[in-house]
Amino acid sequence: MITAPHERRAVTHTRLDALRLPLIGLLRRRWGRLALQIPLLAAAVLLVIDGFTGPQLAARNLATVIPWVHFRGFAVLVLLLAGNLFCMGCPFTLPRTLAKRLSVRGRRFPRRLRNKWVAIASLFLLFVTYEALDLWASPALTAWLIVAYFVASFVLEVVFTESAFCKYVCPLGTFNFVYSTLSPTQIGIHDPDVCRACAGKECINGSYSPTPLVRLEDIPGGQREVRHGPQGTPGCGTLLFAPQIESNLDCTMCLDCARACPHGNVGLFIRQPGRELLNPEAWPKRWDVSLLAISLAALGLVNAFGMVPPVYELQRTLIKTLGIQSEWLLIGLIFGVGGLLLPFALAVLAGALSRALTRTKLSLRHTVAAFAPAFVPLGFGIWFAHYGFHFLIAPLTIIPVIQEFLGQPGDWAAFSSAADAVLIGLVQGAGLVLGFLWSLALANRTAMRLYRRDAVPGLLPWALLLLALAFAAGYVFSLPMEMRGSLLMG
Amino acid sequence: MYFFRLMAAGLLLLAAAGCRGQAVTPTPVENLSIEMAVDPDPARVGEAALIVTLTDASGRPVDGAKIGARGDMSHAGMAPVLAEAEGGQDGRYRIPFEWTMSGDWFVELTITLPDGSTVTQRFDVSVSGAGS
Repeated sequence: MITAPHERRAVTHTRLDALRLPLIGLLRRRWGRLALQIPLLAAAVLLVIDGFTGPQLAARNLATVIPWVHFRGFAVLVLLLAGNLFCMGCPFTLPRTLAKRLSVRGRRFPRRLRNKWVAIASLFLLFVTYEALDLWASPALTAWLIVAYFVASFVLEVVFTESAFCKYVCPLGTFNFVYSTLSPTQIGIHDPDVCRACAGKECINGSYSPTPLVRLEDIPGGQREVRHGPQGTPGCGTLLFAPQIESNLDCTMCLDCARACPHGNVGLFIRQPGRELLNPEAWPKRWDVSLLAISLAALGLVNAFGMVPPVYELQRTLIKTLGIQSEWLLIGLIFGVGGLLLPFALAVLAGALSRALTRTKLSLRHTVAAFAPAFVPLGFGIWFAHYGFHFLIAPLTIIPVIQEFLGQPGDWAAFSSAADAVLIGLVQGAGLVLGFLWSLALANRTAMRLYRRDAVPGLLPWALLLLALAFAAGYVFSLPMEMRGSLLMG
Repeated sequence: MYFFRLMAAGLLLLAAAGCRGQAVTPTPVENLSIEMAVDPDPARVGEAALIVTLTDASGRPVDGAKIGARGDMSHAGMAPVLAEAEGGQDGRYRIPFEWTMSGDWFVELTITLPDGSTVTQRFDVSVSGAGS
């Protein structure tokens, strides 16, 4: 039963369906996603092979150069310019159909874990592991990480009916979910009446059920017959219902919904970039979702902070004052406090101040949730500045790495040039400034909507928090970067 | 059917990976002592030099070798620094070099001796910031 949400649905996109364009429309075909996944699977296999058997020197191994330099740089650009294409082409979910065959029907992910807390924990764990094990310097460990990814996604797909790994666990996907909210594309529908009359709801139920659903009546606009069975199409793995989608959060852009819809009513629509961040109904008003958006921005700052000289002073101070001997504990403490506890405490404080200054009756949870989307553009700007640096510092070194992988001498002299340092600085600065201005505009709009005449005092705590984050990021990026293992590793 | 398609694709990929080329392995040279120092010491960002000293088993200096130096940072994606020197005097070779960023470096020396034999050795260097 489709209820109110799509009736009151704001206009979240234009009428331009990218899936009705030439070439892009091929993605809708049964094997459309495979066209992206197969090359990425091939790349993943090659990374694993080079990681285990190639030179254990990060700069000369595909396993470290591609994931930690080129992939991250491309990922942020593609998220901003197109959408969540990396989840769409994710090779880790390729065995999904096989896993579905093996899965025990009816078992859902535990209710208590159906939120973003596990994803926040897995992001935290990934960042700490990345630093503690110096993954950026170890091809073999990076290869193990890729293998672990395949195993984890497959096992969770077998055990649970929905795509639990994508929706609740995957740290890379979680990053993509959050920052694809800035993207210019979003899944949507052409005609709400078609969905209202649809009996099968194949976009979410899929058509792989061994027991065909009974269609009650003919659907206007129906284009093809739904055939339920083992060869059918899965519905949305993350349990999003196409007519009600108002956000890219949780959307892997797998297009299963578009493939499963027997009426051709689901599309990938072009929208104003970041449109959903203006929509107060787009995000759930939950602490976990709010903390995810806010902490991901702060984690970007801490991640960049880990590469500049002051971090070594901080580490020495912590070792001296707290007597910490465990590197995991040391790094966990920095990321836990700087990336999770401090930003969340400051967000709660900002929310409390907003409430006090405006004397509003809106709860603290709703206040923080209302302003949380404003942290997305600035967070993106911080990640963009960081990843942009790594990408531009030697963008073509991937060529000699491939040459050496193929047994040829790498032409390092020809492909080692870096982009101009001034240009890199400008790109980083532009990312930060534009991200901050976008964030400030969003926070201002939220304050205007919530507090009307009291908008200025309501905005003030949030504007100061965003400004502090932007200044801290600007300071970190103005320092010379270092590429060094941490203190306790020697 | 899907499973077999997947397996076939995997086997094809593994076969393709088996085509991975083999790098040329230098001929080991026995009884050659290689020492490397950096100037300035300790190393810091900026213009620098690698001082390589070659001696044979009896401690006599080895001249006339050609030395290629390659500096890589521990982090992936950084451009290497390439330099070379040849000749040598009293077994000492001075190789102009540049530390482009502070952090952990690996310097790989590829030494070609006058008789054509080649040896490769790696050294770890920690480089501090220019102002440190």
